[in-house]
Amino acid sequence: MTTAATDQPRRRRFRVSRRVLPYLLSLPALLTCIGILIPFLTAVIYSLQRYRLSQPWARKFNWGENYLNFFTDPAFWNTLKVSVTYAFLTVTVELLLGLGIALLLQKRNRTNNFISIMLLMPLMTAPALAALMWKLMTNPGFGILSYFATLLGIQDFNWASDPQTAMLTVVIVDVWVYTPFIMILLLAGLRSLPPQPFEAAALDGVPRWFVFWRITLPMLTPFLLTATLFRVIESIQQFDIIYAMTQGGPGDTLTVFQVEAYLNFFQSTNVGRSAALLMILWAITYVLSNIFIKNWLRLREKQRGNA
Amino acid sequence: MTITLKNIRKAFKTNTVLEDVSLSVATGETLVLFGPSGAGKTVLLRLIAGVIEPDAGEIHVNGQNMAGVEPEDRGIGMAFQNFALFPHMDAFANIAAPLTARHQSKAVMKDTVEKVARLLKIDHVLHHKPKELSNGQKQRTALARALSAAPSILLLDDPLRNVDAKLRFEMRLELPRLLKDQNATVIYVTQDYKEAMALGHRIAVMNDHGIQQIGTPQDIYLSPANTDIARLFGDPVITLLDVVPERRAGQVVALISDTAIPLLEDYAPQIGQACILGLRPEALRFVSEDTPGAIPVEVEAETPLNEKTVTLALTLRGREIMVSRPAGTPGPTSGRAHIAVDAASAILFDRASGRRIAPVHKIIRKEEVA
Amino acid sequence: METTSPVERLLRGIAITLVCLFFMFPIVWIVLMSFQTNETILRVPPSVIFAPTLENYTALITGKLETQAGTLDIDFMGNLWNSLFLSTASVAIGLILGVPAAYAFARLKFRGSEDIAFTLLSFRFAPPLLVLLPLTIYFQQLGLANTYGGLIWVYQLIVLPLILWIVRGYFEDIPADIEYAYRIAGHDFWSTFRRIALPLAGPGIAAAGLLSFIFAWNNFVFALVLASADKQPVTVGALAFVTASGIQYGQVAAGIVLSIAPTFALALYAQRYLVEGLSLGAVKG
Repeated sequence: MTTAATDQPRRRRFRVSRRVLPYLLSLPALLTCIGILIPFLTAVIYSLQRYRLSQPWARKFNWGENYLNFFTDPAFWNTLKVSVTYAFLTVTVELLLGLGIALLLQKRNRTNNFISIMLLMPLMTAPALAALMWKLMTNPGFGILSYFATLLGIQDFNWASDPQTAMLTVVIVDVWVYTPFIMILLLAGLRSLPPQPFEAAALDGVPRWFVFWRITLPMLTPFLLTATLFRVIESIQQFDIIYAMTQGGPGDTLTVFQVEAYLNFFQSTNVGRSAALLMILWAITYVLSNIFIKNWLRLREKQRGNA
Repeated sequence: MTITLKNIRKAFKTNTVLEDVSLSVATGETLVLFGPSGAGKTVLLRLIAGVIEPDAGEIHVNGQNMAGVEPEDRGIGMAFQNFALFPHMDAFANIAAPLTARHQSKAVMKDTVEKVARLLKIDHVLHHKPKELSNGQKQRTALARALSAAPSILLLDDPLRNVDAKLRFEMRLELPRLLKDQNATVIYVTQDYKEAMALGHRIAVMNDHGIQQIGTPQDIYLSPANTDIARLFGDPVITLLDVVPERRAGQVVALISDTAIPLLEDYAPQIGQACILGLRPEALRFVSEDTPGAIPVEVEAETPLNEKTVTLALTLRGREIMVSRPAGTPGPTSGRAHIAVDAASAILFDRASGRRIAPVHKIIRKEEVA
Repeated sequence: METTSPVERLLRGIAITLVCLFFMFPIVWIVLMSFQTNETILRVPPSVIFAPTLENYTALITGKLETQAGTLDIDFMGNLWNSLFLSTASVAIGLILGVPAAYAFARLKFRGSEDIAFTLLSFRFAPPLLVLLPLTIYFQQLGLANTYGGLIWVYQLIVLPLILWIVRGYFEDIPADIEYAYRIAGHDFWSTFRRIALPLAGPGIAAAGLLSFIFAWNNFVFALVLASADKQPVTVGALAFVTASGIQYGQVAAGIVLSIAPTFALALYAQRYLVEGLSLGAVKG
């Protein structure tokens, strides 16, 4: 009969106390991330400085000046306007389109599953490469879409190189890439809804628009909210598609926050302004992501409960 | 291997589960922890196993304080209520898990696993994964895993809870012998009073964050500490009647339907106080009308219950009384009848607190001596 | 819903066709382009009838691009290799760092664990340039500028939160009793982690790995800011490729096809886990 208490001490191994263990396990991940927090703090300092890479000797703290300047800086207001417009347009279109497609594919069957997997392909395409694909298709010389435009009687439709249509073009690319994201989340949401209310409504002969507005939509709200917030947060920071497509041009048509900050940093080497722009963007996303995380958590709890 | 718990306290966040629990189990003894769900039985087992730590108090195994001793070093075998089999290992690997930790040779391991599997009649399914096993086989595999390393302490957390009635019946017959052969100190958790009575050398009744009574099955049955415990043990359930003892013709009596039921003289201090009289069905018998102290009743229904026949009767005041007699013996099936009470078996409880009133001469009880 | 009229079915059919057309056409068109020479690409009107050629692909693989101006060396294979290496190494390191941390967050609730987990999650939502721009300056000083090591570190910004939150969910789904049973059977914490927790969370770890690989592969801005030509992945490399003068469009298309093919293949393979990954572990597919 082997017994623990009276046993010969078993092979003494290095033992970690229970209190230290969790920290030991998560420390490497934490250190990696703390390395990332330092640049963040640096950015805060930069944003409070007059700092141009071309004039390092003139670097000094000017405190809130970078921020104050924004009030009278039309370029800043343009950036804000363009970013918000971009986020609003992309998310609205993606939400409506994504919901529509999810409803079309709601029923589980082979065809629908196949289509929904196929539709994920744009989402799996790197946004920068997606922009490149659309650039090829909208090339004024040989682009298939430019050709379609002429077929529709629109001559010289210049897509992203025309200030009039540049926003439209990048929004289309964004919609192409990210609608499947909303679609797949809502599809998972729709398919996880309990069938009873719908069966009851069908039995009672409730009209379908009524079922949609009064049962489907309210029950889908947590998914809609999560998907929308997720997209708004990402969309207001969009960089890849816009930079790959037009580098913010033509002119300042598409100088959204991150593109403007990038150009400020690398072209006009105005580090201070660039950092201040990013801090404002960060503030916006911070507020949004706090709302998002709350929602996301509730959804996670609920889904785990169901599982 | 003795187990001693001293003033254990455990809370999860603000939810107190155990409060000042002390307990000791002797070598080779089987102690049953009995109580409703949420009474903290499972938590107590986990504390002993070392997978959670108490907020206060000490756990000693064979006199050695277990604080800071990891679960793998406590030499305990444990079976879980939900079996907790390793889903990615077959039954053999599951049962062998305690042996692999002890670095035994392949051959010894194979022998041991097969022996314990034969004992539990699962030697034909050793190479099945848990999801291919029936519930009963899972339960036996879990038990085999707990036993395979021949631990000197066995913690069994309601192992029969999730198996069907037939298997539970079989296991209830098999387990006492199995546990005896193991020669281990056993703590067995259950919510089934019959299991508790059949398996425990002693039973600890848990409720409200602590142990309410601890004693042999007989003790618990005959002298329940309070009305709750009296109700939990026994099938058919004990009859509890509100009474106020008084003295008539020199005797301590309780009145039921205006008939004076004689009580032990030891209950004299309770005269005039609100009490509850507990009558086990076995303490009652049908008698002829002219027997002194016979209570007239109306027979309502009769049910055979295994080796007993149980009769539900109503007193003239409409209070329900259960009477049992050995099956096959004659008794009334309907209409008017009379019952008599065995004075020595009547149990008296304080009505306000529900606690049993110890007869004066029995105030020093066995477990208090021990 | 069973009572769909023929008209409704027709409308649904049309809607689905239009949706598929919009989302599939660009991919199909680029694939077609990649098998064409500049002559057939520049035809007006465009046509889907052409003699397919592999010369775009052979040019990319050999690294010799024929242009009007002569032969141009473009190391597209180098970009592909960089993508592969950066993504694989980032995911490997992300798993090594993230899986134990995920276990700690799931099982050993410790002081501040939730706050830390959320801080990690919020990295996923901060503007990447906010970190990247100061980092360019630090990397210069630390000698990490344009190194694989530096890039892999920064890639943790996208890889870690994903792994952490998906794998954490899988660890939480393992009944604690199973791990307790193994401990009580006499195995220490580490072997319980290795033999019980890891295998049982295996599918989740694989899914998190695959998904974070896709995200790492598709990343653009990290390498754009921190890497120069020899360390650039395909996302950045392809862009440079277009701006090269007198380029053959078929070769750009072929480059795109080669760059998106791996993620498509992985996505098809891991489709069961996509929903979970895209929602950072909140929604199960």
